[in-house]
Amino acid sequence: MKPLRVEREKILPAALFALLVLVPAFYFSGLIAGREISRYYALAWSLFAAAIAFAIAYTERVAFYRRIFFGVSALAFLFHFKTGLFVDTFEASCFKDTPFCHIAIAPAFLNYLYQQYLALMSPGWKLWGPLTLGAAWVFVTLALGRGWCAWACFYGGIDDALSARPGRPLLKLGWFERKFRDLPAALLVFLLLASFAYMLPVYCLWLCPFKLTGAFLDAEAPARKIQYALMGLAMTALVLGPLLTRKRIFCSYLCPFAAWQAFWGRLNPFRVTADAGKCTSCLVCVAACPMAAIRCAPGGQPEILAYCNLCGQCLDACPGGGFSYTVFGLELPARLSPFGRLLAVKYFYVFSALTLAAVFSALWGPAALRDLTLLVRGGQ
Amino acid sequence: MPALFFEGALLGLSTGFYCLTACLPLLAPYLMAEGRALWKENVKILLQFLGGRLAAYLIFAVLASLAGQAGKYVMPGWLLPAATAACGLTMAALAVFRISAGPSACLLKADLNPFFKRLPLAIGFVTGINICPPFAAGLLRLLEIADVPRGVAYFTGFFCATSLFVSPVLLGTPWLGPRANDIGRLTLLLAGLWYAALGLTGLLTGQWA
Ligand code: SF4
Ligand code: SF4
Repeated sequence: MKPLRVEREKILPAALFALLVLVPAFYFSGLIAGREISRYYALAWSLFAAAIAFAIAYTERVAFYRRIFFGVSALAFLFHFKTGLFVDTFEASCFKDTPFCHIAIAPAFLNYLYQQYLALMSPGWKLWGPLTLGAAWVFVTLALGRGWCAWACFYGGIDDALSARPGRPLLKLGWFERKFRDLPAALLVFLLLASFAYMLPVYCLWLCPFKLTGAFLDAEAPARKIQYALMGLAMTALVLGPLLTRKRIFCSYLCPFAAWQAFWGRLNPFRVTADAGKCTSCLVCVAACPMAAIRCAPGGQPEILAYCNLCGQCLDACPGGGFSYTVFGLELPARLSPFGRLLAVKYFYVFSALTLAAVFSALWGPAALRDLTLLVRGGQ
Repeated sequence: MPALFFEGALLGLSTGFYCLTACLPLLAPYLMAEGRALWKENVKILLQFLGGRLAAYLIFAVLASLAGQAGKYVMPGWLLPAATAACGLTMAALAVFRISAGPSACLLKADLNPFFKRLPLAIGFVTGINICPPFAAGLLRLLEIADVPRGVAYFTGFFCATSLFVSPVLLGTPWLGPRANDIGRLTLLLAGLWYAALGLTGLLTGQWA
């Protein structure tokens, strides 16, 4: 093991970066979580995000620490919200009335537009979506784009964390990866049409593995059985898929929101860019990408697909340092001073993604900490 | 007769939105998979689709008018699930053939079996015999009219008006590139499997009986 060496010149810039994340994260999470529970829990959650920011700035490794934040956030969501569905002690404090799910929004978008039309024709139109959820989505897309699936999605964190477990893949996807990489886009188109035709959230009814309940499934026995079977299949893809392949199978092949965000995420300026000059065609990046978003283009150079969610795994993996965070493909001039380093695109992106993810996860993170405290204290 | 044509057209205009929701899941995947960045090709597909629908409407018009004359209405209940299953399976088979043939660039060379080129006709027919609420309203009126030529005029009007709602689907097709075709093929596979399952379930459970 290498002896731990403290690099003093990096501590202050990393602390400054952590502070920059902490202040807005605490301000907004305090507002969100503070409505129902003590703000100390929001503070604890924001400190966790700040610690991640510190680690990233200090070590300059994004993917490793991002994954810790993302996985813990998803675990907190499962713990707080999903157990709240079954156990009274942990009654979910957030989403009490309306379960919010971004994955369901994309495939029901035509229905949503139709509802907007109906709302526009009724006197209460101001109460409708564009001013609430729609605005939130536009903001997230502008600030984070496809990075949503690497930092903020409470479901993606499960897939991502599990894909890190196996040392090497037990199952190679081979031709399936080549032929079916566009499956989420096809699924999105099909679900948009089918949801519109049946005026029902077809994805939620037939495929979503996260609902963990049969409460709103079809009443008819044969259809219900198929719905359970498909839910089981999707759950297998979510849990077993990454353990067998080291890829985020659910996110890469079955999530319609992934395709939706891959399309609209272009509005966000941040990109991961490959430098062909540094590529030796070793294909390490192709194996490392959990989203199956790197293809070997003719000539042996890496081609990054629209499904890249800027997780940073390839940046860590490439032996020649051929990948970098850019703004529309452009890097900022390199600065070598300890504080000047923070003015790289990478840190602007991490600041934007981590702060937003910390604020968004304040909907369940602090509450999960409260649940945990209750559990330790004996559930009073 | 013109009065009945316009009566049918009026019903179609007021309810055409439903036709759109029923037709899109079948037509759009095919257009996406097989359409080209050329209006001419895509118009051909749409015309075939509309032809299939018109044929279904006219057959219905004749059958319903005859049934009205006889004072009762009998429809082969298995027809819709059987046609849906056959259409779904053909869509899925076409998609599998296309997907397994390789990337889109090479696909242009692999020409389609003429049987598959008539698929839009079958898709149109399936959507035509699908009894949606506006269609059912039209049928009731036909039973009342109970006259073949007048029934045909009524349903031709209904067909023309509802086609106005379906036709704008062409507007998006000039942007269809090889990548959209690739996505379209997978969409066609999903839609094909969905409709095949729907039709087979209908046949097996006898829900039409
Ligand atoms: S692909 Fe879907 S499930 Fe995965 S992170 Fe993105 S939105 Fe979440
Ligand atoms: S290309 Fe790189 S940054 Fe994008 S998803 Fe794959 S590993 Fe992550």
